[in-house]
Amino acid sequence: MWSFSKIADFIHEFLGSYLNSTWTMIAEMVIAGVAVIGLFALLGLVLVIMERKVSAWIQIRLGPNRVGPKGMLQSLADTLKLLVKEAMTPGGADKFLFNLAPYIAMIVAMLLMAPIAFAKDFQLWDLNIGVLYITAVSSISVISILMAGWASNNKYSLLGAMRSGAQIVSYELSAGLAILTIIIFTGDLQVSEIIKSQADGWWIFKGHVPAIVAFIIFIIAVTAETNRAPFDLAEAESELTAGFHTEYSGMKFALFFLAEYVNVFIVCAIGATLFLGGWMPLHIGHWTGFNHVMDYIPSSMWFFGKTFFLIFVIMWFRWTFPRLRIDQLLNLEWKYLLPLSMLNILLATAIAILGWHF
Amino acid sequence: MMNGSDILFYGLAALTLGCGVLAVTTRQLFRAAIFLLFSLIGVAGIYLWMQYEFIAAVQVVVYVGGIVVLIIFSIFLTHQAGEKLAPQKIKRQIAAFLAAFCGFALVMLQVYQHTFTESSETAVAPTVKAIGTQMLDTKNGGYALPFEVISILLLAAMIGCIVIAIQKTPKGISQEQ
Amino acid sequence: MFITKYIKDVFGALKSLGVGMKRTLYYFTHHKEIITEQYPDNRETMHLPERFKGEVVMPHDEKNEHRCTGCTACELACPNGTIKVVTKFEITPEGKKKKAIDKLVYHLELCTMCNLCIVACPSDAIKMAQTFEHSVYDRNELTKILNNPGSKIMDGVE
Repeated sequence: MWSFSKIADFIHEFLGSYLNSTWTMIAEMVIAGVAVIGLFALLGLVLVIMERKVSAWIQIRLGPNRVGPKGMLQSLADTLKLLVKEAMTPGGADKFLFNLAPYIAMIVAMLLMAPIAFAKDFQLWDLNIGVLYITAVSSISVISILMAGWASNNKYSLLGAMRSGAQIVSYELSAGLAILTIIIFTGDLQVSEIIKSQADGWWIFKGHVPAIVAFIIFIIAVTAETNRAPFDLAEAESELTAGFHTEYSGMKFALFFLAEYVNVFIVCAIGATLFLGGWMPLHIGHWTGFNHVMDYIPSSMWFFGKTFFLIFVIMWFRWTFPRLRIDQLLNLEWKYLLPLSMLNILLATAIAILGWHF
Repeated sequence: MMNGSDILFYGLAALTLGCGVLAVTTRQLFRAAIFLLFSLIGVAGIYLWMQYEFIAAVQVVVYVGGIVVLIIFSIFLTHQAGEKLAPQKIKRQIAAFLAAFCGFALVMLQVYQHTFTESSETAVAPTVKAIGTQMLDTKNGGYALPFEVISILLLAAMIGCIVIAIQKTPKGISQEQ
Repeated sequence: MFITKYIKDVFGALKSLGVGMKRTLYYFTHHKEIITEQYPDNRETMHLPERFKGEVVMPHDEKNEHRCTGCTACELACPNGTIKVVTKFEITPEGKKKKAIDKLVYHLELCTMCNLCIVACPSDAIKMAQTFEHSVYDRNELTKILNNPGSKIMDGVE
């Protein structure tokens, strides 16, 4: 059957027959890098048009409908526009840090791609601390925002950066605790092991109440961590013009924009992996007949289907709820989400020890 | 002839040391914090090079995600963008250089005088499971007691923070707004 | 008690989020509700709301007669001097002098479509039209004379 892992194996054998092992590895690294960059570009195009269509339909509008069939090439046209625009650096800015910040945002997003399993046996780096690696690396992304806000030498940028710093640092806690709930059930941090543990049902079904509560908390916390509405105080248009990227234009702005969308994809992919079984098809306990039918749908379809469903949920949030004030935002985290997720972890631990989960 | 592993090590070491030097020589405070960050990432890279993934991840979480962000926040609240620090007096520069050199010499002396012997015990695999069991073990040289002692220290620090931050309402003003 | 209020808050918040998301999902799935008008393409079939106000016009009947008596109520009602009524005296067949309008000058470029003149008019001589494509090359073209040349006042309108 056609699958990503077959293609990867074929490329590996093809290169192995022409080159020695070191050069094979280097060539594979280059191919993986190019593939990730290609995926980034594709994700940027797809997610931008998806966001614009979803927002339009939710707000009873038509959305982009002029460029290409049903406006589907609109984001391509936007990309072209951004590519040919002048990339300005303001005179009073700290030029070195100002130009460095978008690349940091991009590099962090690229590093986060490494442990994500896109399909069965198709993963860049299955390291044994998978989920911890993701939480660690994603904590660097706040640096790029702080750097951009400071280096712009603009009070709006600085305010936006500080808000976003406070927000990301505090919501990382409940996102981490929500992830920990699933780690308690699986007893392993490795992404492939987490997916394997869901072969007889996804954790959101197997884990009773704690898994569902953790899932809701996870979705809320990652929406805040990716700086999207209703938690988009960092770039609140009506108050701070555009927050930390007020002074950016052209390709540098596009990199921030792309990094935001790629981050949304990554957190949704992680959510899909932890709670909805990653590439694992919908399996129910011992119904072998049913499980067998589900296996006919390719694993990459399952992964992208679940991920895009979560992305849709996050977009749905964005266009439904009004923006929170900074005090409401911090109240929500420290008075509601954090105590609830701690209680939830206790409950999950009890269930895991007593073996009540399926 | 260096192999790939050596090239990686020297690259990471150069990143760590170079950014460390830049962090102390730059006269812009925010840039110093960023260079410190890259230096710490270099250290995390060296842990990763040694295949201690867990330590590398913790290094990034604690130093990059926690301490550097805290430093940057305090810079944000106290300094203005584009401001340069005044150059230090030559006396202080010499004193700082001497202090750094003495520390460096002490460490290098210890390293050269110590003879490294290979341990006969089998190494503990640096997986999260092994580290977790070792950390909370009460037997076999486990670290349960130091772990708990440190957590009491942290608890005390947190209570101290709350006591400092607690809001004292002046007399005559009711608690409700 | 504190804890019951806390739990009530959590569930109340979840419920209200659910209500909001249900509404937006309804709009997301029901494309018939879309209200966007693709304006220059659908100029013929375009639907304008009933109370849309485009400009002030003076309707004339087929005998080129209007209902304006020249009372200047609209001119007085206008907050920014958009309307200027120029009156003249006509000799009626009985030999009496009677006040009538010569020109009703309307400055579209000053008008805010506030509808006060229409409300003020005692004889319903003017009304709001739904035209809106007002752009012209010369600003003077926006100053309009509302009564047709050679028009008269309708019989029976005092």
